[in-house]
Amino acid sequence: MKREHEDAGRMGGDDPMNMGPEIAKGKMVPVMRTGDEMECGVDELLAALGYKVRASDMADVAQKLAQLEVAMSSDDASHLPQIAADTVHYDPSDLYAWLDSMLSELNAPPCAQLLPPTATASRGNGHSSTAAKPSAAAPPRASALHDFKPVVSAASVGRVVCDTEQQSEKILSPRDPKRMRTCSSSSSSSSAKEVASSLKSATEALPVVVVDTQETGVRLVHALLASAEAVQQENLKAADALLKQISMLAASQSGPMRKVAGYFAEALARRIYRHSPLPQADRVALDLLHSHFYESAPYLKFAHFTANQAILEAFTGFRQVHVIDFGLKQGMQWPALLQALALRPGGPPSFRLTGIGPPQPDNSDALQEVGWKLSMLAESIGIDFHFRGFVASSLADLEPQMLLEPEGKRRDRDGVEEAVAVNSVMELHQLLARPGAMEKVLGTVRALRPRIVTVVEEEANHNGRTFLERFTEALHYYSSMFDSLENGGDSGADGELEEQQRHRAMADAYLGRQICNVVASEGTDRTERHETLGRWRGRMAQAGFEPVHLGSNAFKQASMLLALYAGGDGFRVEEAEGCLTLGWHTRPLIATSAWRVGPAADFAL
Amino acid sequence: MMMLLLPHREEEEEGGAAGRRRFPINDNADLLAEVLGRLDGRSLAVAGCVCRLWSAVGRREAVWEAVCHRHVAVGRAGAAGGTRSVVAALGGYRRLYRLCIGPALDRLAGVRRQGPAVSSAARHVSLSLALSLFSIDCYERLGGVGGRQQQPPASLLFLCKPVDVS
Repeated sequence: MKREHEDAGRMGGDDPMNMGPEIAKGKMVPVMRTGDEMECGVDELLAALGYKVRASDMADVAQKLAQLEVAMSSDDASHLPQIAADTVHYDPSDLYAWLDSMLSELNAPPCAQLLPPTATASRGNGHSSTAAKPSAAAPPRASALHDFKPVVSAASVGRVVCDTEQQSEKILSPRDPKRMRTCSSSSSSSSAKEVASSLKSATEALPVVVVDTQETGVRLVHALLASAEAVQQENLKAADALLKQISMLAASQSGPMRKVAGYFAEALARRIYRHSPLPQADRVALDLLHSHFYESAPYLKFAHFTANQAILEAFTGFRQVHVIDFGLKQGMQWPALLQALALRPGGPPSFRLTGIGPPQPDNSDALQEVGWKLSMLAESIGIDFHFRGFVASSLADLEPQMLLEPEGKRRDRDGVEEAVAVNSVMELHQLLARPGAMEKVLGTVRALRPRIVTVVEEEANHNGRTFLERFTEALHYYSSMFDSLENGGDSGADGELEEQQRHRAMADAYLGRQICNVVASEGTDRTERHETLGRWRGRMAQAGFEPVHLGSNAFKQASMLLALYAGGDGFRVEEAEGCLTLGWHTRPLIATSAWRVGPAADFAL
Repeated sequence: MMMLLLPHREEEEEGGAAGRRRFPINDNADLLAEVLGRLDGRSLAVAGCVCRLWSAVGRREAVWEAVCHRHVAVGRAGAAGGTRSVVAALGGYRRLYRLCIGPALDRLAGVRRQGPAVSSAARHVSLSLALSLFSIDCYERLGGVGGRQQQPPASLLFLCKPVDVS
């Protein structure tokens, strides 16, 4: 069994080895390209072998493989039967998680054998210039080093291959409490290459130095901002150099900061090398990511519940109602509204839903499917339900007559017109990419004469005039966002179900795409043009709408919903001039507002 | 045999008229249902393991309806009949408790243990919130057209307690 594990380790190690020579040229390019292929940034070469490893995790995976190798090959043979008998074997294709599980079970403290680092110099690695410096400062007490590893994660062990050193399998107590990580270079893959070679030679030397994580965190943020500034000044060489530093620093962080840094670094790299942006056309995958984001964080649920409450209140007394949803997606907002309408005093109204969605690449009619599911639900709870789907690549293509025809607004037996509600969850900001589109859409909405318009948008300023402004804002916003995803769950990563972890990985990818769009795209491609609530208020007021205060019911329901999330205290529901915002600690992240057509706009129709 | 016993029992009752009258609960399923309807969810589930009769009675929708109503704050005096049919359509009160109300109450109890920082408004589960979550879950379970493979419903995962396998 030991041999199998070695082989598996070697096989996993082989690919970084193969990728090594190309990447040794020092470009980020191949690493970025693998991110292109799959939504989650899975490494494509390993994927061809059946292992799913994220490109950003490569360094960790390589190190853990080596560590596992050490632990497995240790003289203490009592480990092996235990592994055979007691271990729950996780799916090894998810290499990262599998390694985590194996390592935590073996519970092996990392080796801490100190070695003369002459070996690194002898490796002759092309861009080990940065490596030479740490290795030259070999004495572990040296503190003037760039690369650090926090002592928190036991898995963070660097390796240096030394030809002369004998087998040092035994786990010794660290001679020196400080450890020095000698990761050879910026590119994660080349360090993986080093590790792979160390696997082959089956020797390891592990001097490692640990210093304060916070310091690296601050340095990381500074490096990111400096890189963005360099990009703004068109100083691409400096930006590129800083990017390398960023990857080094990022690898030393853990959790949300590392993910955020990874995504931002990737986006910057795209911008620098002017890669084509992520393909926009893959709607099916986008929908999937969106639904995972729905499951893993309360933001969308909050948005739906508060908007539904506003719509429900606006519909009181009407026997015919019509909801126009600007982004139907999976229709997750509507079952709750249907249920609430079914139970309202006075009985349910006749409900019509018009769902708008983007064109699908494979010509499948996703809208009709969603409509069908909703109609099944509506029928089972006794609501007269009608559905219409509209495919539009941009909201600006819609005309009011299209949405209301064929017979215009329905009238009930007393001649009262149906009540129309327009709902937009994170759809409007995309219109800002094209001049004039926003005004057209708001004009269309006004022409529909809705009883209520519910708008949910990200509470951020990612549409500033300068790149640096946008970058800084986005960095803060997504840091909070990732932090909330990480810590808003139940007792952090350890306690989570596997499924929850999977959802979170997809949710991370969903946010990663947004980050990429904000940072790397420009012009009409840059669709994630988030704006703050204040600006939306101004925009809506200018278009002839007046605000409708979201009542205390909405606030109460939102608070109750958030109380159910284990992260509990971190999430804050706040009310701001009739609008509700949900945020993480002091930072609001998403805002719901409701509007109706103001009196002044009537004459324009 | 039975004939002999019955008079015997009557004699005992008459003799001990001043004392307690024994009333086997299992003789009257409706009474049993009334009693079980006053339990909390966990105890009711445990009670369902006692014997077949208790299991059958413990599964009655009426019993779980009583349990649900006892544990949620009903915001407005909704039409009880209407609620019943909607809940039945969505999957029933027992399922509603199991999927939404139970986990929510557990979660809130856990939060209460951690500290008094939680605002009072948020400390109970409202029926409307529970039903909203329930309807979303029910919607997720509906199959797609042509039976295409659906994702397992996950909208209530956030309420699940992770199993401690240490």
